[in-house]
Formats: sequence, structure tokens, C-alpha cells
Amino acid sequence: MTSLAREVASVARLDLAEVLRSRWMVFCGAVYALLAGAFVLVGLRESSLLGFSGMGRVLLSFCHALVLLLPLLALTATGQVVNRAREDGTLELLFSLPVRRGAFFIAVSAVRYAALVVPLVVLMLGMAVLGRLAFGQEVPWGFLLRAVAVSAALLLAFVGLGIAVSTLVRSQARAMIWLLTLWALGVALIDFGLVGLMLQWRLDPRTVFLLAALNPVQAARMALLSGVTPDLAVLGPVGFFLAHRLGGAGLFAVGTLWPVAVGLGAWAHALRRFQRSDLV
Amino acid sequence: MRIELRAVRKRFGAAEVLKGIDLSVPAGRRVALIGPNGSGKSTLLRSLLGLVECEGEVRLDGRSPFDDRREVARRLAYVPQVAPQLGASVEDVVSLVARTRELAPAAIVRLAERLDLDVEALRGRPFRALSGGMKQKLLIALALAADASLLVMDEPTASLDARARERFFALCDELAPGRTLVLCSHRLEELRHLAGHVVSLEEGRVTYDGPAGDFLGGRGLAVVEVATTSLEAAGWLQARGFRTGLRGWWVRTLSQAEKRELVPELARELGPRMSDLLVRDLETVEVPHGGN
Ligand SMILES: Nc1ncnc2c1ncn2[C@@H]1O[C@H](COP(=O)(O)OP(=O)(O)O)[C@@H](O)[C@H]1O
Ligand SMILES: [Mg+2]
Repeated sequence: MTSLAREVASVARLDLAEVLRSRWMVFCGAVYALLAGAFVLVGLRESSLLGFSGMGRVLLSFCHALVLLLPLLALTATGQVVNRAREDGTLELLFSLPVRRGAFFIAVSAVRYAALVVPLVVLMLGMAVLGRLAFGQEVPWGFLLRAVAVSAALLLAFVGLGIAVSTLVRSQARAMIWLLTLWALGVALIDFGLVGLMLQWRLDPRTVFLLAALNPVQAARMALLSGVTPDLAVLGPVGFFLAHRLGGAGLFAVGTLWPVAVGLGAWAHALRRFQRSDLV
Repeated sequence: MRIELRAVRKRFGAAEVLKGIDLSVPAGRRVALIGPNGSGKSTLLRSLLGLVECEGEVRLDGRSPFDDRREVARRLAYVPQVAPQLGASVEDVVSLVARTRELAPAAIVRLAERLDLDVEALRGRPFRALSGGMKQKLLIALALAADASLLVMDEPTASLDARARERFFALCDELAPGRTLVLCSHRLEELRHLAGHVVSLEEGRVTYDGPAGDFLGGRGLAVVEVATTSLEAAGWLQARGFRTGLRGWWVRTLSQAEKRELVPELARELGPRMSDLLVRDLETVEVPHGGN
């Protein structure tokens, strides 16, 4: 093992212990359980009402719940990791050891990301199997893989943003305000949110479109729905426009790659600042 | 390890905490850093470790703790003033240090044992759930195990009891002579045991840098208490700065030099009018503005 890998592994073990003992883990479990529960309930009702087509609707509401909740989970997982470690003296102890700052950054980011993605993947596969066993439906593998990829990309975006907030905003209280603002912006700037309202307020439509198109939540939502036939009512104006421009595959590619770019960009910026910041 | 500081300044926002520190510590010297609370001692130690970035130059054996971190960090060990609030278990913390420093965990366990801390029994406990004294013992064991050429300790015995302090001093006595030691402390006992050299810091400036004996000689505080029922004696004591204490006791806190003058004078002047006399040295060193 190279020395960097050894440093990352050592810090990751410590942070994993921290995460597994934290209240956040309970919160995350509760949110995922809620998602699963809602999915099963709606699935039961819809499949008896609508028969085979039920799955499509269930998936649609599931998609929306997913793109709204995943950013919140990712932000709460990461938004206070660096500033809390600084305040409680963890960084002081850690960096009196031969550990590189980059190793710490990689380790906590990877652990938090894994803590978000791994249970989600397990949950989705579990639901697919349940759908097959309980409702006798075909497992929609295409959709499932798409959903996993998009969720992973969306989580990456907000893990990067959360780590950036926790590095750049020193006080935990102010960091919390930043996190809530980021989340609110993310959910507001999507087609079924404020965008319609903003257009009604006669804000310049191009500005509104641009804001929505730059929003990683919107990107993820479009990518999730890129498999269905482009429908204005489902995709919303921005998604509809882009779907026609880019096609389904293009929409999927943009919708996953853009959040990844946002997350990595924020993360890299935060790392650069962290390399030379005070650790107390 | 040789320490070289040149014109080191540190600001936190508007407050300048270190105001141009020049300091040179040859390898193997044992230095006590003393000064009132808030004078910048911890900040100075952190600048040695590259934990805070400052203006000016910090050199450890000619290297910067920031730019040459990889080479320098292996040769440093640190006991922080405040223990981190880690949720990870004692075992996790020990294994983190053992892995990053490439030590056998058993070496840490043995050192902790000599400080009366049974790491095996505590291994599953979250680090933050340990008592203050236990955390400090573990942090000391983690630092001493490193076999570092520069050992930096920020008030390492603040929450140790007398017995644990004795054991800590014994461990420090076994340190190889070439090791440089920088220690923050208010405790005379600690300074006498561990440091041959004192650097005193006031409001971010060095006000003394020299042998410990010269500095500590005049600085240790003592308390003299006299019990008397004689009014005349009471007047005499009051005129010499004594305050009334409990039930017929008069108390005065004074320097070592004053103590050495006053005690014979008490015997001469008051003699049998004193029903009791108590003289004791305080454990902390006198610091100019308030202090601990
Ligand atoms: N991270 C920090 N941010 C802001 N101010 C700080 C920070 N660390 C220390 N200070 C301030 O610097 C001054 C010196 O602190 P410190 O070095 O801890 O003093 P000492 O160890 O001598 O008691 C104090 O006024 C303290 O409030
Ligand atoms: Mg201090």
C-alpha cells in the first residue's frame, strides 16, 4: 500500500466509526425507510387500482421523492464534517500525526459518500425484488440502473457542496444556514417548483431556464425521466426543451455528468482552501 | 530537533496573537513556555506543528512544518491542551496512531499502563466518553510512544492527579537526552522536573528566554498563614500585608524571596504570640497578568 493510501485508510476507519455512531445515521436510515415504505404503500394501492401500469406512476413519484431528499441527506452528512472536526480538536490531533491534509479530505468524503450510496443501492435492489415477489411485476432493470446512476451522481454533487460549505464556513451555525439555503435553491429551481412561478413573474425566461439548467437537482431529475417519452407535463418546460435538443441518451448523459462536475468542482476548491487553512 | 523562529506573527481576524516572535532552541533543550492565559502559548506551539499558518519563518531542523510536512511530521509528537471529542473507540484511536506512525499498538498500551491506564479494558469505549484524566493519559502515551525528536506538550498534566503526575515525570526522565521538549505549563513542579530553560510569553511577545533556575527562583509563589489571638500581633501582621482568614488566621501570598525574608522576621517579632504557623509553596508559577 502506498503511504497516501495507508493514510486515507487510517482516517477512513476513524471516520467510519464516527459515522456509524452518529445520530445522522439514524436520520438517514429513517429517510430511506420512509422512501421504501411510501414506495410499497403506493405500489400496493396503485397496482390494485391501475394494474400493470401502476409501476410507472409509483416510479415517477419515487423519482421526485428521491431528487428532493437525496440532496438533503448528502448535505446533512457532510455539511459539518470539517468545521466540527476543527472545533472539537480532531484536526489538531490528526494533523500532529504524519497524515496529509489531502488524505483526510479524501477519507471523510469517501466514507460519507459510501454511507449514502451503499444503503440506497441495497434499498433499491430490495424494492425491486419485493416488487417482483409481492406484486408479481417484472423488475424494471433499465430504470433501476438509471436511478442508481443518477442518485449516485446527485449524491456526489451534494457531498461535494456539503464538504465545501463545512470547509469554507468556519462556524457550524452559519454553515447550517448555508446548507438549508443550498437545498432550498436546489429544490426550488426545478420545473415543478419556482420556475413556473418565476416565469409568471415575467423574469427573463432565458435567465430562469439557465438557472434551472445549471441546477444539479434539475439535471438529475431530467436524467431520471429521460427514459420516458418526452412529455411537457412530466418533464416541465426546461426538461422538455432539453429533451428535444439532446434526445433521451443525451439528457441522461448531461443529467448525470453535470452533477458530478458540480460536486467535484466544489470539492476540489474546498481542498485547495483546506490545504493552507488554520486547523484550530 | 532544532527550532528556529524568525519574526513570527499570527492574527486571528483583527486580533494579533503573536507579535513578532524570535526564538532559537538548540536540539536536546527542554523548554517551558509560560505566560498568562491568552498570551499565545498554544498558538505558538501550533505554529511549530504547522497547525496554523503564520507570517515569518518557522524552521525545524531547517525545514518548514508546512512545506516539508511529510518529513517533519514523522519526527514530531504533540499532546494537545484540549482532548478531541472523538466518537471513535479507544481502540480505533490507538490503531490510527499506530498505523500512521508505523508503531506496534502494544508499545502504546505499555506506556499507558505505566500511567495507570488500562487500554485493553477501555478498548471498546468511545474516546470522548473517557474522563478528562484518562484522555490525557492516553494522549500522553500516544505522544511518548512516537519516539519523536521534538515533543510538544500543551499543559499535559492539567487533569492528572498527583500520582499520575509522578508517573508522567518518571516517563519523561527516561526520554532519550537528544530529544527536544517544548512544554506549556503553570505548574512549578512540572517546570522543575522537566525544563531547564524557560521562555516567557506576554501578550504575544517573548519577555524572558533563559535558564529556568534564574526565572523560577523569584517567581514561585508561597502562602504564609499565622494564627494568633494577640491584638498587637494582628496589627503587626496587617501592616505587613496579611489579610484575615478563617478564625484567627492571617494569610499572605508572596514570592519565594519575600518568604525567605519574612519567616525569620515572624519568628523574631511575634515569637510566642503566634499560636501556629503554616508555610507552603503554591503549585503554580507566578504569571504577571492574572493567569490560570
Ligand atoms: N482559532 C482561533 N480563532 C480565533 N482566536 C483564537 C484562535 N485560537 C486562539 N485565539 C485567540 O488567541 C489568543 C491566544 O490564545 P492561546 O494561544 O490559546 O493562548 P494561551 O494558550 O496562552 O492561553 C486568545 O485571545 C484566543 O482567544
Ligand atoms: Mg493554551
